[in-house]
Amino acid sequence: MIKRVEINYRGIYQKTLARRIGSDLVLIASRLGKVAFSNGRYSDAPERDGIPCKYFVFVSPDLPEEELEAECGAKLDIDVADVSIVLDDTMVKGVEPWAWHGVRPINEKVSADGCLLVVTRREPTQLLAFIAAKPHPYRLATLEGDASLSGLWVFKDDLTHERVLGAVAAVDPGIVTIDAVADYLADEGREPRRAEAARTAHAATVQRIRPVAPDAGISWTYAIPELPAWDAFGEGVAVPGVERRSELGPGGQARNAGFPRGTTKTERPVVRFDLCTRCTLCWLECPDGCFDPTADEYYDVAYAYCTGCGKCAAVCPVKECIVMVDELRFEDTASPWAAYRRDPAAYLAWAEGKKGPERRSYAHITGTGVEVRPAPAVRARRTRKEVATR
Amino acid sequence: MTQTSDLAFDRIAGVRKTPLEEFYASGHRTCQGCESALVMRQFAKASGPRTVVTGSTGCMYVANTSYMTTPWVVPWMHTQLGAAGPSAIGMAAGLRALMRKGRIAQERINVISFCGDLGGGDMGLSGISGALQSPYDLLIILYDNESAANTDIQATGLTTYGAQTTFTPPGKVHRVMQRRWKKNVAGMLAVGHPTCRYVATACSAYPPLDFLNKVRKALAVGGPTFIHTFDPCPKGWDYHPSYSHELGELGIKCGIFPLYEIVDGRVSYTYDPKKKGRIPVREYLEKQGRFAHLIDEDVAYIQRRVDAMWEEWEIPGVAPLKGGLRPA
Amino acid sequence: MTLAEKTIAYEREELLTGCQAVAQAVRLADVDVIAAYPIRPYTEVMDNLSRIIADGQLDAEYIVADSEHSQFEIVKHASSVGARAFAGSSGTGWMYGFEALVVTATDRLPVLFLVGNRALDDPGAFGVEHNDALAIRDMGWLLCWATTAQEALEHVLIGYRVAEDPRVRMPMALALDGAFLTHSQHMVRVPAAETVRRFLPPFDLGDRRLHPDNPISIAPQVNEDWVMELRRQNWEAARRARRVIEQAYREFNELFGERYGTPFFDEYMTDDAEVVLVGLGTVAMPARTAVRRLREHGHRVGYVNLRWFRPFPGPEVRASLARFRAVGVIDRDFAHGSPDDGGVLLHEVRSCLYPLPERPQVLNFLTGLGGRDISIDDVTSMYEQTLAAGRGRALEPAVRWIGVREEAARGVPEERRP
Repeated sequence: MIKRVEINYRGIYQKTLARRIGSDLVLIASRLGKVAFSNGRYSDAPERDGIPCKYFVFVSPDLPEEELEAECGAKLDIDVADVSIVLDDTMVKGVEPWAWHGVRPINEKVSADGCLLVVTRREPTQLLAFIAAKPHPYRLATLEGDASLSGLWVFKDDLTHERVLGAVAAVDPGIVTIDAVADYLADEGREPRRAEAARTAHAATVQRIRPVAPDAGISWTYAIPELPAWDAFGEGVAVPGVERRSELGPGGQARNAGFPRGTTKTERPVVRFDLCTRCTLCWLECPDGCFDPTADEYYDVAYAYCTGCGKCAAVCPVKECIVMVDELRFEDTASPWAAYRRDPAAYLAWAEGKKGPERRSYAHITGTGVEVRPAPAVRARRTRKEVATR
Repeated sequence: MTQTSDLAFDRIAGVRKTPLEEFYASGHRTCQGCESALVMRQFAKASGPRTVVTGSTGCMYVANTSYMTTPWVVPWMHTQLGAAGPSAIGMAAGLRALMRKGRIAQERINVISFCGDLGGGDMGLSGISGALQSPYDLLIILYDNESAANTDIQATGLTTYGAQTTFTPPGKVHRVMQRRWKKNVAGMLAVGHPTCRYVATACSAYPPLDFLNKVRKALAVGGPTFIHTFDPCPKGWDYHPSYSHELGELGIKCGIFPLYEIVDGRVSYTYDPKKKGRIPVREYLEKQGRFAHLIDEDVAYIQRRVDAMWEEWEIPGVAPLKGGLRPA
Repeated sequence: MTLAEKTIAYEREELLTGCQAVAQAVRLADVDVIAAYPIRPYTEVMDNLSRIIADGQLDAEYIVADSEHSQFEIVKHASSVGARAFAGSSGTGWMYGFEALVVTATDRLPVLFLVGNRALDDPGAFGVEHNDALAIRDMGWLLCWATTAQEALEHVLIGYRVAEDPRVRMPMALALDGAFLTHSQHMVRVPAAETVRRFLPPFDLGDRRLHPDNPISIAPQVNEDWVMELRRQNWEAARRARRVIEQAYREFNELFGERYGTPFFDEYMTDDAEVVLVGLGTVAMPARTAVRRLREHGHRVGYVNLRWFRPFPGPEVRASLARFRAVGVIDRDFAHGSPDDGGVLLHEVRSCLYPLPERPQVLNFLTGLGGRDISIDDVTSMYEQTLAAGRGRALEPAVRWIGVREEAARGVPEERRP
């Protein structure tokens, strides 16, 4: 019998966390007399800030180590996951780690009766609004919490890893039991709060596992694209360049259709076009070229390509004009400028609704703090004559 | 901040006059807030469609073309880590021969090669030196994120004193493992290649359009040219990516990264600390996790060296030669 | 071909070293870009080319590189924009730029290099050894040895013809024994430029050249999804190269007279031979002389002078060597720690013979390393040993050193040796 765990995490920010969870699962399983090993997904590396990544753990109570390795080891990817952990809930919108494979459902590998375990403050129904339907039943469990993010070398000791271990024991005690988890965490003079955190998370998660029926979720037909055979593409290791394109308006600029990589983002910029002074800085400074200049000199956002870095919000000189908002508040990547042009009042109401009453500002050093303040009140700017088009 | 230079080139006069077309498109696997990606976008935009590019191994290779894909609109080819210089020579020489022999149309084709820390300041230094002595029109861009970033952040010859990297972690016995002072690559190359007409440093963030215009100048001046950009890197410097612009400005305003250009041997400062002052380096260092382990004594050391660079060097920010060369 | 026709094909005869002959061929091939860096013994080709260019006999960009790695990168990228390019090196210099050599093959760029075979450092030594050129053998290169200056000149032309063929697009290394071929002067017939133009079409990379009119990205980063297919493409190109080589020789013979009977190797007096030796490079001279002298004494021996090492002409070598009772493989190289501690060519030949239901005995002679002479007497000894093996005698050891100073061989008792 083999139990497979995959840990979906935000590249760089959660690399240390994912590794810690993975290696602890191996250590705890070993203490239970099982055979286990873990590894990252090699093609994820080198990781980039925000890119979705995976870490794998394999456990067996009865197979010899060599056989477990033969079945699960030395492979590019996992075949199926009994538990699929998601350390940042925005990843439920899908993950696109590299080109050619498209955006993959977060639950792609979850086995029949396997469990998708998501660290989130949202309710399961809110998550299922983004998650692909599967032909077989599985379970969805939620562990209450925010995504724990830190710098590359930093292990952020905020009890997330202990709580996730407790939650894994809740959704699949066949991998590790909560007693084994707690014993391990109480080991070697560690503070009692760690084992406690695991037990508390375990107890809470047990209550928060819900079955997901076949075909519950959104319709998302995903298939790994068929890659060309060796004799079906030209020799000389070359690919066509991105075709030249520069038109005004939504989607008007040249972009690499092979890899939009919008699933990197946890937040997206919401633009108040009425406040925009058309200074160009958001467009000029976007490393990902996500802004489409429009005929009326605004800058539309190509959300499918946006990585959510927040630079635009930081360089915009106008208060409240660009605000970064949780990615899970949005259902699609439709053009905001087009919506604004169609019905400015409706768009502004929608934008303010998405932005909500709070504004978050992050400490400079990754993951070391976030300040939450109430949103300033900014009236809609008085209308003015449209300027001459470009 | 504007340079006194009578070099004729197609200047971008203001942000609203910046050409819209992209020659390095969206859809690459760089980090959120990657300033090196912005450097790619900006140089390609400034250079335009009649361009050929080689990119040496590093983040701007692996993170741009992952996998078997490309964000490049202009023709682009991978080259080896230390081969920015020779790849530029090879393209330029090949095109020149073919044009002279009438096998391809005569036209101006911009030849650009880029490299990172290692390709520019360490391994590839010899090759770049050869290129800057050569008679060919070419531009080499060193995008400096102060680490070997593609291999998950190791120290290079361009890493700041005191910075944490996987080769220089702060430990229980040795707090500062990164004890080397950053190499002064642009100055070194300017001093070492008297026939190279254009050497500059730049930052994609600050001042606006400065880097784009420096690229245009380099491409217009004739002969081999070099630009060294200062690229804040959220992954390697450990900061929230939205602050990439701010850190670029702070690095320049505290003087730790001199911003200048040298045209036919004449230095002009894009940011002149003598006129505009310098903010304390602490304001720059304290915003980055890679310096979180530094204590006052370390910061003071860095401040002293930066002070010396601006107050004691005969050519401040450019060449570390001191005293006695000129009458007081 | 009549004398008159031959006169058209070759315009003059000149006294040339191997290096100079190669330089003449580079001139005739109208190479566009040359990158130079000095290392003995190949440097002379670059000295020659600089003078040829300075005197206006060849229009080419000539770049003095800062290192071999840069030198090889310069020509690789010149080739990528569609320029015909030439470079070269020897010994440890070839190794310095090895990274560039590997990627030139995987980038499928048909640059031609002269390798002036030289012993590898350390310690430094200038004499001939084949390990430098052989180091490239797995990487997807064309690799061939010239035995004479004439052959060297002609194989630059044949080399570009094959390498640039769209069915091939592999870089080519032309190996010349250092000193013995690079530096000895012989009378060489220099082809007429017009005839060369008829043989060698202009270099055309088609839709693979880097130019603003053809916006492609060459060599994006790949992962496990792609590498195997790319390797397979390179593998197939090497296989296709064999037929392209044959075609190139046919075309060459038509224009220049029947210069070459078979492309891959020459056979000397093998028709009724009992045993043969096989080797690469200038060892063919003492070998052929030894064959003639042994035959005067009634021994039926022959010599196989291998020209093309990559692609290795497996079926042809197998068919040829199957006829003999024993084969002695001469290795002017080493492969320390390999099976039976034999040389590189031994392993290639043995592997090639393996499918035969009945195989000749195979002996291996490690000899001539670091430029040590291989005398006619040395080769005669090799023939004698191979004849014995062919008659089932003295089969062990399979691998033997010829010409090394050895205490044991001098009869010094073991206890008195260091």
